[in-house]
Amino acid sequence: MKADSDERLARAALGRLTEPGDPRVNGLVQKIGAVPLYDSLLQEKDPGENLLDSVASRLVDLDPRRDLERAARSGIRFVVPGDAEWPTQLDGLAHCPPLQSRGGAPLGLWAKGPLRLDEVESSVAVVGSRSATTYGTEVAGEVSMHLAEKGVCVVSGAAFGIDQAAHRGALAARGKTVAVLACGVDRAYPAAHTNLLNYIGEHGVVVSELAPGCAPTRIRFLARNRLIAGLSRAGLVVEAAVRSGALNTASWITSLNRVLMGVPGPVTSAPSEGVHQLIRSGAAELVTRAPEVMELVGVAGEALFEMPRAPEKARDSLAQVDAQVLDAVPVSKAVPADSIARTAGLGVTTVQASLETLTRKGLIVSSPHGWRLSTAGWQ
Amino acid sequence: MPFATARCVSLQGAVGHLIDVQVDVSQGLIATNLVGRPDASIKEAKDRCRTAITNSGFDFPVSRRVTILLSPADLPKRGTHFDLSIAVSVLAAAEKRDDLRRALSGTVMIGELTLDGRLRAVPGVLAMTMAASARGIKRVFVPEPQTKEAALVPDMEVYGFRSLAQVIAHLRGAEIPEAEPVDMNTSGALLSWRGDSRLAEVDMADLNGMPDARYAMEVAAAGGHHLMLTGPKGAGKTSLAERIPGILPDLTVEESLELTAVCSLSGVLNAEDGLIARRPFFAPHHSASRASLLGGGTGRVRPGELSRAHHGVLFLDEFPHFTADIIEALRQPLESGEVTIARGEETATYPARGMFVLACNPCPCGEYAANAPQSHCTCDEVQRRNYRNKLSGPVIDRIDITREVRPVGRHEQDDPLASPECSAAIRERVTVARSVQAERYAGRTWLVNSLAPGAVLRDEWPLDPVAAGKLDEAIYSGRLTRRGATRVHRLAWTVADLAGVDRPGEQELETALQLRTGEPLRVEVLRAG
Repeated sequence: MKADSDERLARAALGRLTEPGDPRVNGLVQKIGAVPLYDSLLQEKDPGENLLDSVASRLVDLDPRRDLERAARSGIRFVVPGDAEWPTQLDGLAHCPPLQSRGGAPLGLWAKGPLRLDEVESSVAVVGSRSATTYGTEVAGEVSMHLAEKGVCVVSGAAFGIDQAAHRGALAARGKTVAVLACGVDRAYPAAHTNLLNYIGEHGVVVSELAPGCAPTRIRFLARNRLIAGLSRAGLVVEAAVRSGALNTASWITSLNRVLMGVPGPVTSAPSEGVHQLIRSGAAELVTRAPEVMELVGVAGEALFEMPRAPEKARDSLAQVDAQVLDAVPVSKAVPADSIARTAGLGVTTVQASLETLTRKGLIVSSPHGWRLSTAGWQ
Repeated sequence: MPFATARCVSLQGAVGHLIDVQVDVSQGLIATNLVGRPDASIKEAKDRCRTAITNSGFDFPVSRRVTILLSPADLPKRGTHFDLSIAVSVLAAAEKRDDLRRALSGTVMIGELTLDGRLRAVPGVLAMTMAASARGIKRVFVPEPQTKEAALVPDMEVYGFRSLAQVIAHLRGAEIPEAEPVDMNTSGALLSWRGDSRLAEVDMADLNGMPDARYAMEVAAAGGHHLMLTGPKGAGKTSLAERIPGILPDLTVEESLELTAVCSLSGVLNAEDGLIARRPFFAPHHSASRASLLGGGTGRVRPGELSRAHHGVLFLDEFPHFTADIIEALRQPLESGEVTIARGEETATYPARGMFVLACNPCPCGEYAANAPQSHCTCDEVQRRNYRNKLSGPVIDRIDITREVRPVGRHEQDDPLASPECSAAIRERVTVARSVQAERYAGRTWLVNSLAPGAVLRDEWPLDPVAAGKLDEAIYSGRLTRRGATRVHRLAWTVADLAGVDRPGEQELETALQLRTGEPLRVEVLRAG
């Protein structure tokens, strides 16, 4: 299945004309369709909400056909709704109210890399602070590796800190990962991550709603965060200070009614403060390791996680009376049953019965002078 | 006048005293007396010297009263290296030869004599030559196998001899007689094995992950800070520690000379190798004796592992397993960079300015780990507490940097984009940071931040005002002790020196606090580094 070429051209053009995540565009595309909207702008007729005024200056050197050709030559494809590759989970964005005046489903996605976008059905956004600590990057890397091993795709923003740790964790497992950028997919932002982005471009996929060549701006980062959330079935915030872009992504996850999870940190750690607030307010579920994430992400009941427990000791399975007697048996010096009964505050006959049970279980040993704990009972 | 003086050096630890060996040969009751607080090995010199003189074809004044004084007389002396100076001055006094006597002044003579008059090697020749040089002596006679060792001291005329006869001939200006070469018989490696050279091959590039431990090591190396690594068995603490010498700058000539002298004192110097060029790495086991660690032993006080790791790295693995006695004794070297061993008569001081790297497990069995379902720890809470308690106290307070080492995860091991930095690149930054410090502390007695006195630092090199305020806050909130604050102040300077910042600000202080308290570091700090 493939969307028709007029639709693709119109969406590429609209993407060039408007800023990503402009709620007016989303509304108008839904109301009148992308092709009529593009036509009316070309004819310099305002389609409503004063959109023409905003795009007028960009109409001059618009050439979407050239954009698409150039992109294709550099191995970049433009995926639009109606394509088989279109990730349908993005459609949820169309019905979400805007956040910080960004919103709506994207017009299309420019993508570079072998991973098909319709194969990222089961995906988790792993996001967090750029100014993370080594604790955060360690957790993000480890959790992402385990998720990728289970076939879950790790979606993040290729930024410093948590983002890059998440991508690299997934790559270490030779798993799926998607990097969502706030600039053209042919650009490396941040520049220090050129290698990382090249590698994801070869083994995963790098996507953006901005045409190749576009530069990142503040507003585009906000729009990008909505895409990270939109592409994912659930979100995991590892470290985020109280003012962090990751919290914006978290709000989108909540707004999309998807599962939001948070990894706690030390209560004294500023980079964990935002996560702690999310958990405290009930917006995010507390998770500490990959199996707990799987439990929340997977199909209900499929990946249930067994609670970690301390190793079971022989003592744990004793009846109340037996445990009480065991407590009264001395460690080294053997004593007779009546002395044990006195210490335990129990009748001698009860104690004698218990002593037999305990001897059978190997927790105590008897000697000519009475009973004392065995090595097993002592532990 | 039947009197002559030769010179020798007596060592007390690494401190050398110039000794006048005076001999008087005169009429009187026939006897040979040795005075000036000699120990047993010097007393035997009488017998060695007499037979050596006779067997070398000279006459020992057997029918006279011979008095030998090692002056200053109140200083206890030990060692067999006085033989040569005693024998030569006996001959000079007995033969009443002025030419011989004159030739003796300004020369230090070191060497042990055998009964046939040959000259044997003795430990500590380098240290003795250095001490002689410091006191204005320009000429030294040593046993031939140790010529190279003594020649390491600049501006020193070194002569190596095989026998007493050669020494006398040289002093008389006569032709030097032939003599058999004498074996170097101080201890040396009997076998050669890869153990020693293995350390030259390890590199930081071999280690994936552990970003904050790597940074902590870099800071420790740059500022000479002591370091503690905690973490479960097999997490990589030893692998990290043995790579520290590789990121330390090359030894300076003075450092190398000091280190070589310490090795010479322990009698483990291989004369063929010349100056020691590689930073030492010592990892004594926790069952090691106090004497082997700190120095001592029977007879002469020998330097211990602490001193042999001078200017290098001393790695104390499983630190809580060391005896309380040894842990307490580490206090002085940690604080002042030297070890003093006091015994009834003598006090020996050796340098011990190595970097201390302590390692400990989270519990006695070494398996305890939080959030690890596969943990196999078999210790109970009491055992864990007792183990941790050994880590408290004054020694730990003197460790600047604490770092938890977690086992490298699969996500780090298999990371296709991992490119761990090699030792040479880190060493370059450490070297730059050290030269910045050397410049700042020019004219002072210390070269690195870790040795800067706290009061001087606060006066002359304070933190920037905002950072200073934060540090005060940390003290008042009870997060830090005053001593801890001084250590954080020093660390903040090292962090700043590594980052190329003129004066430590808020960020450097925060990093320093995290290094000290063991909290995880910010990744952007590591990125800059």
